[in-house]
Amino acid sequence: MKNVFNRSSTLLRKFLTVSLVAVLLMLVDNFTPWLKPAYSAADNLVRPLYLIANIPLRVQEWSASSLTPRSEIESDNLRLSKESLIYHGQLQRMSDLAAENMRLRRLLNATELVQDSVLVTEVIGVSANPLSHTLTIDRGTADGVFVGQPLLDAEGLMGQIIEVHKRHSTALLITDSNHALPVQVLRNGLRSIAEGRAEYNRLNLKFVSPTADIREGDKLVSSGLGGLYPAGYPVGTVLSIVSVPGDNFLKIDIDPSAEIDRSRHLLLLYTSRDNAADAVE
Amino acid sequence: MESDNRGIAVCLTLILAVVLSLMPLSGDWIVWKPNFLLLTVMAWVMRWPDGVGIFFAASVGLLADILLRMSPGHSVIVFALCAFALALISRWAKYLSMLQRMLLVALIISLVAMFEAVLFILYGRPSGIEYLPMKILLSMLAWPFIDRLVARMQPRRG
Repeated sequence: MKNVFNRSSTLLRKFLTVSLVAVLLMLVDNFTPWLKPAYSAADNLVRPLYLIANIPLRVQEWSASSLTPRSEIESDNLRLSKESLIYHGQLQRMSDLAAENMRLRRLLNATELVQDSVLVTEVIGVSANPLSHTLTIDRGTADGVFVGQPLLDAEGLMGQIIEVHKRHSTALLITDSNHALPVQVLRNGLRSIAEGRAEYNRLNLKFVSPTADIREGDKLVSSGLGGLYPAGYPVGTVLSIVSVPGDNFLKIDIDPSAEIDRSRHLLLLYTSRDNAADAVE
Repeated sequence: MESDNRGIAVCLTLILAVVLSLMPLSGDWIVWKPNFLLLTVMAWVMRWPDGVGIFFAASVGLLADILLRMSPGHSVIVFALCAFALALISRWAKYLSMLQRMLLVALIISLVAMFEAVLFILYGRPSGIEYLPMKILLSMLAWPFIDRLVARMQPRRG
């Protein structure tokens, strides 16, 4: 019996020691940047594990592409050629409009808009913690990636870079509960804040009064306020609007434009501001 | 020598658990994914309490914090709590049937998940408590596979 009590008290002592160390670690991490270099080095060390974890997905993609019948590939090719032709046509019109926009801005002595440049990147890891929406991409400082750089997919804004290493970087997605971005309604320019809520297919729209002109189906784009995200990139569509009696603001759900949990190929955005900063440096 | 073999077995099962934890899943499923690292550590604490204890569980917890991008210390405390609870009952837990073990795992995972939810609320983050029932059920269903794998990886006596 004495042995059992000895064992229990030893276990309790060990548990209390570990708990104390854990609480200290959490406090140090929350209130100081001391652990950041160690954490970053450890992150680099475990990076190969992400690559190993991606192998089944790569095999699945490879087998899916290898086993696709030739006729399907040919029809896909034809469809993509047609789409490319249509987009090229639209792009010509867009460049004409952009040139006209610049001329008009010059006439108004407004800041000239320079076209944003992009860098294609691939997702190599997704956060395994469902409540922390981050992903890892295969570009780092070697490719000129920097903290705060916006990230897009083919449909809209995905997030921003929060950590950069030499050959990879980590991005915080717009659906993370710690993320908020200034947006405006495309139809009438109404400004608001789109906030993540740790769900891959939903955002909240904050601080919209019950008398504001907003409807279900309204498209939202980044407003450019705050200086992080450039203006005009698609963020989402208003899905539902609920007015709760007694609340000062509407409860608005947004469906993000970007395919947050599906896109594998993304674009890193170098905005005119970054280019200008580089030129100054 | 037997201890060395077990050490290798522990490492192999942990690598498998890490791969399962990091394997990308679509957003609808990821919220229900069991914590494979925690389940593997629990299986080892139950099977080999003298070799895999609280300090080992805390070290794996630190690895989980790095992999899951959590505040360092968060999983350390969660893993250590699980190992502590299991180490206390490990002497009689090995005589339980599989179903009883599954229920025990579900109970411990529930308690730990609630503790974790409190930590998340303290951080001012969503607690994810709405996903708990499904996550606990899936952890319970994953347990027999992990437990059998750990049992098979153990060197046979005699």
